[in-house]
Amino acid sequence: MNIDLYSSLQIAMAILLGSAVIVPLLSGKRKLAGWLNFILVTAAAVVLLNISFVSIFQGGAATQKVLGVYMLIDGFSGFFIGIISFLAIMSSFYSIQYMEHYADYKLWSYYLCFPLFILGMIGIVTVDDLSTGFTIAWQIMTVASYFLIRFEYKEKGNIRNANKYLILMELAWVLILAGTFFISGFSWGDSLHSLVEKLGATSGASLFIVYGLILIGFGFKAGMFPFGQLWLPDAHSIAPSPISALLSGVMIKTGVYGIIRTFFWMVPKEGFNGMVWGIIIASFGAVTLFVGTTQALKQHDAKRLHAYHSIGQMGYIILGIGSALVMLNSPSVFVKALSVLAIIGAMYHTLNHTVFKGLLFLSTGSVLYATGTKDLNKLGGLIKIMPVTALVAGIASLSIAGMPSFSGFASKWTIISSDILAGNQSLMLAIFGIIALFTSAVTLASYVKFFGMTFTSSGVEWTVKKEIKEVPWTMLLPKVILAMLCLAQGLLPILYFETFIGIFKNSAGSSLQAVFGDVSLDNYIVNSAMGVSVTVPGLEGAVSSVAVPLVVLIILAAAYLFAWLLKKSGGAEEKEVPTWLCGYQDLNNNNRYVAHNMYSAFKKAVKWTGGNVKK
Amino acid sequence: MDILYVAVNILVFLLLAPFFDGVVRRITARVVQSRQGPPLMQTYYDIFKLLGKQNLTPGNVGFKIAPLVALASIISVIVFFPLGHEVNVLAGYADIITVIYLLTLGGVAVLLGALSSKNTYASLGSSREMITMIMVEPVLAMTFILGAVKIKSLGIGASVASVAGGGYGASVIIMLVVYLAALQAFVGRQPFDIAEAEVEILEGPFIEFSGPNLALFKYYMLMKQMFYAALFVVVFIPAIKTGYYGFDVLIQLAFVSLVYVLIAVLGSTHPRMRIDQAQKFYAVLIAASLVAIGLSVYGI
Repeated sequence: MNIDLYSSLQIAMAILLGSAVIVPLLSGKRKLAGWLNFILVTAAAVVLLNISFVSIFQGGAATQKVLGVYMLIDGFSGFFIGIISFLAIMSSFYSIQYMEHYADYKLWSYYLCFPLFILGMIGIVTVDDLSTGFTIAWQIMTVASYFLIRFEYKEKGNIRNANKYLILMELAWVLILAGTFFISGFSWGDSLHSLVEKLGATSGASLFIVYGLILIGFGFKAGMFPFGQLWLPDAHSIAPSPISALLSGVMIKTGVYGIIRTFFWMVPKEGFNGMVWGIIIASFGAVTLFVGTTQALKQHDAKRLHAYHSIGQMGYIILGIGSALVMLNSPSVFVKALSVLAIIGAMYHTLNHTVFKGLLFLSTGSVLYATGTKDLNKLGGLIKIMPVTALVAGIASLSIAGMPSFSGFASKWTIISSDILAGNQSLMLAIFGIIALFTSAVTLASYVKFFGMTFTSSGVEWTVKKEIKEVPWTMLLPKVILAMLCLAQGLLPILYFETFIGIFKNSAGSSLQAVFGDVSLDNYIVNSAMGVSVTVPGLEGAVSSVAVPLVVLIILAAAYLFAWLLKKSGGAEEKEVPTWLCGYQDLNNNNRYVAHNMYSAFKKAVKWTGGNVKK
Repeated sequence: MDILYVAVNILVFLLLAPFFDGVVRRITARVVQSRQGPPLMQTYYDIFKLLGKQNLTPGNVGFKIAPLVALASIISVIVFFPLGHEVNVLAGYADIITVIYLLTLGGVAVLLGALSSKNTYASLGSSREMITMIMVEPVLAMTFILGAVKIKSLGIGASVASVAGGGYGASVIIMLVVYLAALQAFVGRQPFDIAEAEVEILEGPFIEFSGPNLALFKYYMLMKQMFYAALFVVVFIPAIKTGYYGFDVLIQLAFVSLVYVLIAVLGSTHPRMRIDQAQKFYAVLIAASLVAIGLSVYGI
């Protein structure tokens, strides 16, 4: 190892703290403060990305006491450090121009809390205890994000929603701490390592309480049903867009981090019933993804729509985690091997969701910036006025809907295929897989509505008075970078598979390491033309599942070319004319088909899932 | 030379899809409605004519690419199709999940085109089209999954062959019935042509399309119909291997034409449902196919 991970981490944290001290003093000069915030956050993020790179590809460091707190940087936390710092760069760059849009608000609190928020999240994924360090990190993250969420405090209802967020996050913190008190012989400041031994000595009933409380605590953060619904849509929709991107993109992922750490690392050799917990988590995941997504379908406020989808997509990740746990504890060798696939799927979807959800919130932010509204009933027809934003939002929408060769496909494919293959032994997992597949069609419906009602169709001609322009390049650049990343993640799954396999192979102390020990890319998970094909033990020679987005894309492109030639073959002339409307010369605002009307029959049928909105 | 199988797939579907549509029109006319009906080749004439007609667009990108994407997506699906129970070389690069998502991509293109056309009827139609997609996609998925869980593989050839390959157990029979019940919805014909509903919302999503664009969409619909008809044959009728690929394909096509007869008769004798009624019907189908999956996991 060529760098000292822990001292680099301290340097990065010091830069973030420094930014929080310096930038607010200069916040009178809004643009300058924005640039300075971006530069300092990026400086810290570059150090962090280096830590992330080293810990993922060259191996992390052992637990170490830093400033009296146990810290741990391994490949797994390195991954989360990576996504947090990457999205922090994008979001801080986007903020420079975006915050201009809040002319009536002073920016000192924003630039005070922004770096602290990042600092808190980095803390959560690096501390190695559930007491002192965890508390400090959780509080910094929660309080900083609270002030960021209530940034627009003059708007009616925002303070109430922000307070609700604060209270529920404190509750989650209390639950997690309370959980640890049930561990026999627990003392304040224990590292996770020593907690594992003490958990081994804890009796059955307390053990259930420990894991139950921790699951609920992190479940709150991760937006798990029914806890996520209490705060997530309200908080995410009122925060400034770059912050929404961070909240949805990475903050809720700290819940995922907590759940995976708890259920795959913090487990004693005996006494822990992985099967039961796996079933519980997977069931929560399946319910979360179904309920979250059907609720999202009912929204016509673009940011609330994204927020509810965050719950839905977190459901996929939680389902992946739970399925992995069930499979890991299955007696069948065949199913056990699939746990590799399920956990890779969960991690992969975490990454993909970070990128496409960040992109979606930034795109909606741009629409809000340009038009002043995020109501899908009012929007429409922006594709001509804001072509770049439309293009990247289209990529993000296809990604979240899981269209082949876009990023969501690769990770959803991983989760769904592992569940369906495990269906050979477990009906429950097969049904969860089918629910996930069904739900991704609902996701698609929702994003067809989002894209269609914002960028195509019509509306802004009548509902928006001011002149609409494409947003400036400083707001386009982060989106374009994210969109390109979206494409890369969709087309080259094997790179990401290799990375995740590497992370878990080096994950000393996790219950997954043993299964991953056998996995080599040449045996079961094979690189086929940059895609992935999987075989399972006992069925060598027969491919179990395969996804090669690159080949699919080439076939699609060839077919597209054929279709284009066919279209041109008749030599028909093309003419641009306005839409003909049965004699009504022009479309007007009153006979538009607005977002609210879409899918009403289906929305009525799933009324029982809640989250209904009035017109 | 393996790539030739792919070429055969595409050619068979491209060339025969309009013909089978002609068959449906002929049966509808002669058998059910007691009239002469158009010639069997009429659908080819329609497409040729449309390709040469003026192409009107409201001038946005979504509208222009939608028909191209739709046709491209269905051709890609066809590429992976195990025609004659021969799994071609490209099918090794995709599995059933890819195929399912590719089919939805076609649907997305239709919706994109509809919403880009700025027509109220088109939006209405696209809303209905999407509901239909949400509700019948699980039935299609479970048809594949029925085979997949048995054989522990999501490979296209393997999972398709394993459904009827293991004999007609209760689960396969249920799935077969469900598939037939969903067939009209898959192919977008009465009583489930709710999204297009000619006399009610004037072809819905396609209302603004004309000339070559409309021809592409029509072709897309025809290919999709033939895909679902052929899928039924491949999945539910065990492979009859004569040893000659050409014969295998011809036998399958003979079965496919029988499915088309069924489509024609069902389509011309049933009135259109409302979307909420159809939705309830689909929900029953989803429940039934879940039962089939459940039974098959327990080996029934």
